[in-house]
Amino acid sequence: MALRVDNLTKTYGDTTALSEVSFEVPDGKFAVVLGRSGAGKSTLLRILNGLTEPTSGSVYLDGEAVTNSRSDVGMVFQQHNLVEELSAYDNALTGTLNRTGFVRSLFNRQPVDDRELALEALDTVGLLDESGQKVSSMSGGQQQRVGIARALVQQPALLLADEPVASLDPSSAETVMEYLRETAETRNLTTLASLHQVNIAREYGEQFVGLKEGDVVFDGPREELTAAVLEDIYGYIETDELREGAESTDMNESIQKTDEGLETEP
Amino acid sequence: MSADSDSLFERLLPPSLDGSNGESAIEQQHAELKRNRLLRRLSQSALLVCIGILLLWSLQMAGFWKEEWIQYWPEFTEALTQYFPPALYFDLIPFVDVGRYYQFWVEEGLVGEAGITLAIALAGTIVGAPLALLFGILGNERVTPFPFNFLFRGVMSIIRSIPSLVWALIYVPLGGISPVTATLAIGTDTIGELGRLLTDELEEIDDGPIEGIRSTGASKPQVITFGMITQIVRPFIAWAMFILENNVRSAVGLGIIGAGGLGVTLSIEQQTFKFTNMMATILFIVVLVLSVEMISQRTRSYLRGDDDEEQLSLYELIVGFPERMSKSLLK
Repeated sequence: MALRVDNLTKTYGDTTALSEVSFEVPDGKFAVVLGRSGAGKSTLLRILNGLTEPTSGSVYLDGEAVTNSRSDVGMVFQQHNLVEELSAYDNALTGTLNRTGFVRSLFNRQPVDDRELALEALDTVGLLDESGQKVSSMSGGQQQRVGIARALVQQPALLLADEPVASLDPSSAETVMEYLRETAETRNLTTLASLHQVNIAREYGEQFVGLKEGDVVFDGPREELTAAVLEDIYGYIETDELREGAESTDMNESIQKTDEGLETEP
Repeated sequence: MSADSDSLFERLLPPSLDGSNGESAIEQQHAELKRNRLLRRLSQSALLVCIGILLLWSLQMAGFWKEEWIQYWPEFTEALTQYFPPALYFDLIPFVDVGRYYQFWVEEGLVGEAGITLAIALAGTIVGAPLALLFGILGNERVTPFPFNFLFRGVMSIIRSIPSLVWALIYVPLGGISPVTATLAIGTDTIGELGRLLTDELEEIDDGPIEGIRSTGASKPQVITFGMITQIVRPFIAWAMFILENNVRSAVGLGIIGAGGLGVTLSIEQQTFKFTNMMATILFIVVLVLSVEMISQRTRSYLRGDDDEEQLSLYELIVGFPERMSKSLLK
């Protein structure tokens, strides 16, 4: 579904996290939110998922105002936020909680369709054989793929990913991003990811929204994302590293560089 | 500044106040360090004196300066020979007459009595534990908004402040002191003790899974179940095992006031001055409590996933004992 964000504002006391943010993402597009730490990326995604209430403004999916967004929106977190004590399958199954009664969910009595959905989602992220494995014994990359599966089981209208690969090593990051893109493409799922590694963002994103101190400073396709634009988004300090990252052809090398530059991301 | 010619008071004054401005930085620092060390020694001595006074006062309150109890000392040593009746093994080796203990265990059917004690502790723990979980969760600020969560914490505090022995007295109108009232008393006690431990565990859980489950659009009871309770299942079982250990001891205590089990045997033998039988019962209690403790510790170390001694099998534990002892002696 097409996403439209309209004049979204969020203030915490005197601090403005987002000020009148507006942009649109067409149906099925893979959009990336860029910005430095504290630019408002996480706040934006949390509002879209209903985890944070906006001070003002609205969000529309296919022209309809979103009210109960948590069920309609799947979210992938930087720290995975999985239940580590449960298996990959049980974690994927928590994606059905919003349509399962409390007692049914307590005894894992989800309908067969939902249970098949969970296995399909795990298959989509290449973890069907690991379904029974406990999440705590999985690698960071595998855990994040379980996170994607959980979001898919929700059958969301919109998929959000808040720094999905920030805490992963370069090769796991690449795998996770591949699965994320493949999922979004095959299911025609509108996706919005916040990423601070510019080179990864350029490789996977189709549309880019640049945030700076709560304002949208850029909104456009890959071709328009020039070094000058990045300089505007990120400011001077990391510009050299980022420009190198943006132009580098060796992905892994540049991920490390940008990682070093922006390690302070919370 | 020579230390031995100064009075203690002068040595305690800060260096800047006692006219030593002409000294080098190192000398000043040295003087300062000496002063600090002196201060520390003085405060340590003061603390020791305070503890000493507290000890004397409490011994006085407990009646230790009266002379009667000293007069009874011979009776105690006499009782000791009954507690541990001596016997000659092979007409050569003097040791405690274990046979008499064993005889009493068999004659009185102590295994059955131990079963009652264990049953009281088990039933009390199993009844109390789910309620402790409920109170622990409801006492958490994430579940019940402040200050209402303190309602549940307060109930647990009140339960805790009353010993299980007193709870049994409170339940007496429900049919006298019996295994039933003892079980209820231990169940109530478990709510307070275990609930408190779970409250602490819940304070330390990760926000991540809670947020993850919230993000799926789950209802509040679902967020609590899948986001919070899943994180404390292991500590819950571990602490429940620990509480079970304590409850077995409490059940013996409740037996002494007549609630059944080993405690009853213990008090009967004591009141009829059959001290050998009494000691036989005590030793049986030791065996029972240690067995429960061993099972509990092994369960807990398994849940923690520890790789230490407690995870050895019973066979390894016994057969490998001499080797491990010699190793630890050589350390």
